[in-house]
Order: sequence, then C-alpha cells, then structure tokens
Amino acid sequence: MGKVFLEVVDPWVNWDWVSRHIPLFEDALLQHVRLTVVAVVVGFLLSLPLGVAAYRWRLFRNPILAVFGIFYTIPSVALFAFLVPYTGLSETTAEVGLIGYTVLILVRNVLVGLESVPPDVIDAADGMGYRPVARLLRIEIPLALPAIFAGIRIATVTTIGLVTITAIIGLGGAGQLIYQGLILNFHTPLVVGTALSIALAFIADGALLVAQRLSVPWARTA
Amino acid sequence: MAFLGDVLMWFTDHANWSGENGIPQRLAEHVQISAESVLIAAVVALPLGVALGHFGRFGDLAINISNVGRALPSIAIIIIAFQIFGLGDTPIVICLVALAIPPMVTNSYVALREVDPDIKEAARGMGFRGLAQLLRVELPLVVPLVMAGIRTSAVQVVATATLAALIGGGGFGRYVFDGLALRDYTTLFAGAVLVAALAMATELSLSGLERLLVPRGIRVLRAPASARAATFKTA
Amino acid sequence: MKRNSDLARRFGVLVALVVVAAACGSTGGGGTNSKGTLTVAGFNFPESSILAEIYGQALAHDGYTVTYKLLLGTREVVAPAIQAGQVDLYPGYAATDLEYYNRGAGEASGDVAATAEKLNTRLAPLSLVALTPSAAVDQNAFAVTKDTATKYSLTKLSDLAPVASKLTLGAGPECPKRPFCLPGLEQTYSLHFKAFKALDTDGPATRAAFKNGTIDVGLVFSSDGDLNSLGLVVLQDDKHLENADNVVPIVRQAAASDEVKSVLNAIDAKLTTADLVTMNSQVSIQHQDADAVAAAWLQQHNFTG
Repeated sequence: MGKVFLEVVDPWVNWDWVSRHIPLFEDALLQHVRLTVVAVVVGFLLSLPLGVAAYRWRLFRNPILAVFGIFYTIPSVALFAFLVPYTGLSETTAEVGLIGYTVLILVRNVLVGLESVPPDVIDAADGMGYRPVARLLRIEIPLALPAIFAGIRIATVTTIGLVTITAIIGLGGAGQLIYQGLILNFHTPLVVGTALSIALAFIADGALLVAQRLSVPWARTA
Repeated sequence: MAFLGDVLMWFTDHANWSGENGIPQRLAEHVQISAESVLIAAVVALPLGVALGHFGRFGDLAINISNVGRALPSIAIIIIAFQIFGLGDTPIVICLVALAIPPMVTNSYVALREVDPDIKEAARGMGFRGLAQLLRVELPLVVPLVMAGIRTSAVQVVATATLAALIGGGGFGRYVFDGLALRDYTTLFAGAVLVAALAMATELSLSGLERLLVPRGIRVLRAPASARAATFKTA
Repeated sequence: MKRNSDLARRFGVLVALVVVAAACGSTGGGGTNSKGTLTVAGFNFPESSILAEIYGQALAHDGYTVTYKLLLGTREVVAPAIQAGQVDLYPGYAATDLEYYNRGAGEASGDVAATAEKLNTRLAPLSLVALTPSAAVDQNAFAVTKDTATKYSLTKLSDLAPVASKLTLGAGPECPKRPFCLPGLEQTYSLHFKAFKALDTDGPATRAAFKNGTIDVGLVFSSDGDLNSLGLVVLQDDKHLENADNVVPIVRQAAASDEVKSVLNAIDAKLTTADLVTMNSQVSIQHQDADAVAAAWLQQHNFTG
C-alpha cells in the first residue's frame, strides 16, 4: 500500500504553482460560493411552504416525504448529467440539482421543527385567541427555528460538497481544480481544491452557527 | 414519454443482462464495494461511538464528526486515493469508509447518551456493572438510533459508490459515467434508476433488520420517520 | 416581535450578499473595441486545451473577445454544443470528426484533402464548416508496456493477431462504437481481445490500468508526450486503420468570418506534429499550464510577437 503510481516526482503541493495561480483559486471560490448561496436561499424559500403544507395537511405529508426520500437516493452525478440536454452546460443545470437536494434536507427539518412544538403550547395559543395563520407565524415557526437553522447548516455544508461534483459538467467551483488534478495527473490543484472546499464548508458552518446562536439563543442545539 | 419507453427497452434488452457490462456483474461489483465499506466502517465506528457515549467522553468530537464528514468532498477523496493507490477497489473503499464512519459514530454516541439515567440507575441497583450493564441493558435500548446511523451511512455509501467509475472502477456508476461520456441518456438514466433502487433496497432491508433486532418490549421507542432523516448526502 | 424583524433584516443582508456575489462573479461583456465574442471549446484531454488556447489567444490578439469551455467532454458533448450555438469553435481531428458526423459511414481515408472535403459536405447542412487542416496529426494509437512488447515480440498491430485472445484492451467508453477503435481492430486486423475495459480516453485511468496490469493493450494518442516516460511503446499501424486525423478547426458558419478563417488557417499552416508532442509533454510531465504553453508557441511563431 502507499505506492505512488507515477514515477515522476510530484510533490503534493507545488508552492510555486500555487503562488502563480491565485486568480484561478479566486474564480473557483467565487463560483463555489455563488452556486452554494443560490441553492440554499432558493431551497429555503421553497422548503418553508412545502414544510408547512406537509405539517398542516396530513394528505401532503407522506407524498412529499416519499418523493424527496426517493430523490435523496439518486446519485447527484446522474442528476446533473441528465439535466444537461434541458438546461445546457450552465449554472442553471447545477442549481436545479443542488436546489433539489437542499429542499430535501430543509423540508424534513422544517417538518421536524414544527412537529416538535409541544401540543400544550398550541393549546395555550388557541386559548389566547390566535388564529391559525397568526399561530403559525408567531408561535410555531419561531419555536421550530432551532431545527430549521440546524437544517440550513446541514444543507449548506452538504451543498458545498455537492458543488464539487458539478465539475463533471464543466462547473465545480473548487471542484474544477480537483477535476483538473485528475485529468492532468497533477497533485497540486487537487490538494488546493480539496482544501478550499473543506475550508469553505467549515467557515460557512461556523458563520451559520454564530447566526443561529444570535437568532435563537434560547435553544442550544449541536 | 418516448424516453421512458427507451429506458424500459434498455432494461428488457437481453444484452444488458449479460457479460462484463451487464446488470448482474455491475450489481455484484456495486454491492461488494458498498458492503465492504459499510462493514469496515461499522467495525471502526460503532465500538468507538458506543464507548464514547457510554463513558460520556469527547462528546463535542463525536457530534461534530458528522459535520466533518459532510464537509469532505467525496469526489476529491476518491481522486486523491486514486493518485496514491492507483487503479482498483482500494481507493474507492477508502473514500466510502471515510464517509460512512461519521454518521455511525454520531448516532451511536447520541444513542448511548440518551439512555434514561433512571434505567442505568435501576440496572446498577439490580447488580449490573460496567460491561454487563453496557451489553445487556444499554445496547438493546439504543438499537433503533444506532441502526438509523448505519442506515444513513449505508444509503449514502451506495449512492457515492457511483463515483467509482470516475477512476476506472465498476458498479452501476459505469452506466452513469459511460452514458454521460457518450451522451447516451438512456443508459445514464438506467444507471441512476439502478443506484436509487439499490439504495432504497438497502434502506428497506436494514429497516427490516432493525425490526428483528429491537426487542419487542421497547419497540415503541423507535424514532419517528421524519426524524430518522436524510441529512447526509455525499454524492 | 423584535426577534422576527431581526431575522428579517439578517435575511435581507443574506439576499443582498447573493446578489453581490452573482454580480461579482459574472464575466464581463465585450471590450469597447471588440470585434465580437467567440467561445472556444476543448475536449476532455490536455492536448485539446492547448489547441483551443492557441486558437483562442490568437483570435483574442486579433481583437475578439474570447471565452473558453475547456475539458468539456467527448465529441458526443462538444458536437451538440456547437450545433446548438453554445460554443463557436473547437479544434477537431479531420478523420474522426468525419466519421462522427457521418455516423460511421467509413468515408475517411489517409488523404487529408479528400477527408476534409467530405467533412465539409457533412458539416454544411449543420451550419458548420471545417477550415484548412494542419499538417499536425494526432491519431488513435495502441500501446503496450515494454514488457508486453518483449514478451510477445510486438512491434506492429498485426503482431497482436495470434495473442489478442489472451489480452485485455482498455480505452474510453466510446471505443466499441468508433470505427477507428474496437470495430476497426476487429475488422482490419482480425483482433478479438479477451476483454474490453472501459476506462477513459487516454487519461489517468488508462495509464493506471497499464501500471497495475489491468489492461495489456490501451488506446493512447500518437502525439502524447509522456508515453516514453511511462514505459509504453506504440504499436505501428501497419494496415493503416487510422486515417488522416489532422488537426482542423470546426467553426460555426455564423462565426466563421473571413478574418477568423485567416487567423486560424495561418496557425494551422505552421502547426506540426512535433509541436504537439513537445507541448503535450510540457503539460503532462512538467505540469505547465495549457494557456502558458499555447502563449509560448504563438510567440515563437510570431503570431503575438
């Protein structure tokens, strides 16, 4: 084990190459951030009404969960590749796939959050005269926020990882560097791309954790 | 809808069921690397998570390891392993094991931590100590959550094993990547369907296994479906 | 409630960030004096990136705004893209492109001029045009390791006939469908291999497969720069299965102005096979960038002096 298969001496990080290619990393990161932010924001906007619908109306709950449960098992490579003839080799193709996965994660978390509101609280709210919509907006959703935030964190970190796979359809963000490393049999862009992707994930997770602590300080979830 | 007709014809085409690129062969390859990876990961992760949970140590690490697992780009790990180990199953298994470990550690840890302290107290009162308490009292109680962790890992391992084809490996990912290279969307779609079907079969069979393992008396403690969630997607 | 409006404000900031990120990331439009925008595509191997960069940089030097879509994929990905207008040109290879657009009709030959003419006949109804082919050639080539060559005394492809049934062939997934690949080997050389392994088109998986013995014979490209250093030896195509795969730009007719044509033809006139081999080895062995290698070539030949 551990035999380097190409005889050419190729250090894992060629710092000279790194210093000459900073703009490449900047472009890659920008694309990576752009793809991630759009996917999570749009996914969140879509998952709120879907999650609420699944919560309010029993009829929707199982079909929604079932459809997304199936979606979850589709390998993302296949999904991105499959969309290409419809939406081209563009960021739209990547976004459709990525948004699908963020909605999947967020709908479940919205649902879990809403379902974890104690029935006593709901009774109390009804007793105080809250109409259903007001109760939803001012009691149930705020109480579901810890779970929703947890979902946003998970969705963001997951998306950052999945963005690298879009390198297969010409995008990838930091994944582009990773893919180049494979095709050119070159270690350095591979290592740099991996490091950038992981660093981005940790930074995003940390930032969202801070945002979570600030917005919902009454609930300390992992 | 004509496209779905093509896919159906792909599945009924005799040629796709025989030979090196046939469904049985690819299924065997896919199952082999997935099962191998989940087993190796379980051997490492379950004792670790259970021990950490039982003794209440390194809780932050155990919980955050899932975040770390999510942050690892699976495609990068496979390629790095490929550049070190060359062609073969080793790079793929290494990547899949790395991805399978976190959910199992986290779930095992949390499961052990959530055992009702009253029960542990009662067990101590009945004379159970240390290992006996762990094996005969705590473990049966934590089976649902631990199984949920194994299920989460296994389903994602099956989906991520698709990437093996990127570095010359086999499995259903071959249909996906070859289909992509040739713009043969029928084969690509068929590959995706096969992976999804295998992942769902994995989920169902592990659920069945859980049902067998959970003692009848504590069956009510099974986690609700919405909480046994799809929160781990690596490919 | 104050909490909710805090949340709303944070949300607004997030949305603003999205907009800013999207705006920052989009590539700028044409310069003030640009002659127009052209998108150059390349296949998913390094030589194609080099050629695309050579064409693209020369056009940029001439005043066009050039964007690149490199490592895009196989011909099955690039050809639809150019037909749909998503890209304007790509560096093709005369014989292989002809056999792709004529769906394997077997019209290509060793005669470059004839092949190019037939290619244009096939491209015309698709609103595409092939320009003047270069003298530089990059054909399919089949290689074995030095050990295998010694073991079975192989120097040319017909030497494989008696031993092919013991050997495994490795190539990209498109090989079983390409007339210059598996079908051609079977028909022209009567080679029936023990097995075929789908890997990648002259990429890292193929090279790794040679290294650990998964394949005995593999498809490489005749202008690859790293074959020697990998201990691989190319078997001679003695029955001339491979045809005139000269480098030729395939361009959308709408983008093929006289000026574009003259720039690209001038490049093709000077490009040689030796140049390809040198540039390929600079990229694959020395890890130089395709764009830097292309720039150096252009400067050397006074295109961007």
